[in-house]
Amino acid sequence: MKTRTLLAVLTLIAGIGLAAVSYLFLAAPLGRPTAESLSNPRFPFAAALFVVGIVAVFASAVVYEVLPDGREQRAPARQAPSR
Amino acid sequence: MSVRAERLPHGVGRLSAAASFLVFALLALVALGIYAYSRQFVEGEIVTGMRDIGTMGGAAWGLYIAFVVYFVGVSFAGITIAAVVRLLDLEFLRPISRMAELLTVITLLLGAFSVLADLGQPLRGIINLFRYGRPMSPFFGTFSLVMSGYLFASLVYLYLSGRRDAALMAQRQTSLRWFYRLWAAGYRHTAEEQARHHRTSFWLALSILPLLVTAHSTLGFVFGLQTGRPGWYSALQAPGFVVLAGVSGTGLLIVVAALLRQTTGARDQLGMAVFRWLGNFLMVLTAAYLYFIVVEWLTSAYAAHTSEARVSASIMSGTYAPVFWASVGLLVLSFGVLFVQFVTRRHSLALIVLAGVLVNLAAIGKRFLIVVPSQTHGTLLPYGPGYYSPTWVEYSVIVGLVSLGTLLFILFVKVFPIIEVKEQPQGGR
Repeated sequence: MKTRTLLAVLTLIAGIGLAAVSYLFLAAPLGRPTAESLSNPRFPFAAALFVVGIVAVFASAVVYEVLPDGREQRAPARQAPSR
Repeated sequence: MSVRAERLPHGVGRLSAAASFLVFALLALVALGIYAYSRQFVEGEIVTGMRDIGTMGGAAWGLYIAFVVYFVGVSFAGITIAAVVRLLDLEFLRPISRMAELLTVITLLLGAFSVLADLGQPLRGIINLFRYGRPMSPFFGTFSLVMSGYLFASLVYLYLSGRRDAALMAQRQTSLRWFYRLWAAGYRHTAEEQARHHRTSFWLALSILPLLVTAHSTLGFVFGLQTGRPGWYSALQAPGFVVLAGVSGTGLLIVVAALLRQTTGARDQLGMAVFRWLGNFLMVLTAAYLYFIVVEWLTSAYAAHTSEARVSASIMSGTYAPVFWASVGLLVLSFGVLFVQFVTRRHSLALIVLAGVLVNLAAIGKRFLIVVPSQTHGTLLPYGPGYYSPTWVEYSVIVGLVSLGTLLFILFVKVFPIIEVKEQPQGGR
């Protein structure tokens, strides 16, 4: 597996993981907020971590496409045929 | 890299006298919006027409929230069309792909600004949202998933799809060469890079589509899940939001594409086939939304609860009747115009653009009717009917925001090709 693919997959997994963990375990418990303890998040700014997770998921596309590949950089560029 | 001296494509880098005048006029309107918002920030929301529900006989959400829904709605069609073009390989629609992506990014920003305008203390609102927000709440979903996740995803899509053209522009001697090089980020148009972009854009498009349906449904749930607010509590809210979002977004995209066809001279790329497809797509969406209106009207007027009937009466024959019937009339007229063209197979660009304008006016009216009447006439407590009328401050802020969006669009068009450039970048170094 190329370094870029590995990093992109890692970013993707980290993003999904962060979003899932913050949603399920760090935010306020799922269900009816019948008490104050069930209304407040278990970890402050859990909602922000959820958003960061979603952002990381889409950032993996940038990692995959923009990150220079060592081997490819050394090799001469192969021009693609016209569209 | 070679350096060429020829003119930049699609009007990039050129600002005519008319365009300069337009930019100055828009800047003046943005300044008016900033001034109006400064009055609101200093004096409080008393300078707006918004008041507490019930006790003050008003509406706590007014024009700002109506436009949040409108702006976010417009963003829907942009990225949907860009994603569909990629997923279904609709080559003839590629010229509108980038303008659709840009429309999404700009209208999402305007939506976020509208939320900030609605908050008396914007900073406190933002911090507390991320500090205490419950991710399962529709409010959180709307203002974080939509404004952050969806906006970021759209930006990524716009950025990656523009790298090829950025590389092409970077081969020319311009004062913005540094910007194009930064955007291109080493792109050389090799077969490997093309294949990689092909894969990325496919998966991005595939993941954006469910995200945006979720995001727009969530916005509908902000209203649709409020059991104590007659007029809002409805299973139709979420699908209605998605379909009207498609109507307004496609309509605005038609108008933008037609304006760019005229101003950039890209008549070949933005041919009638593009507008025919967009017009037919708009016709189907408008028909679906008209069906939703009929279903909603029948349900709320047939044997509704007293409080529900009071809201629907205020919309259909009371205070809000002019807005409602004008919106319905504009939607019916647009559908008729598009349907006649579809049946006769004779399409007129002017009529398609007219339909695009009309559905947007109708969408603004409908968004207003979704937000306001349930607050002024939908209380379950023993309060009389309320009243809401926006003040010059609210109108000025909205005009300022729309001007800001137009300004951002024009600036982008002047620094980057809004339509994909035909020629191929020179590869290799």
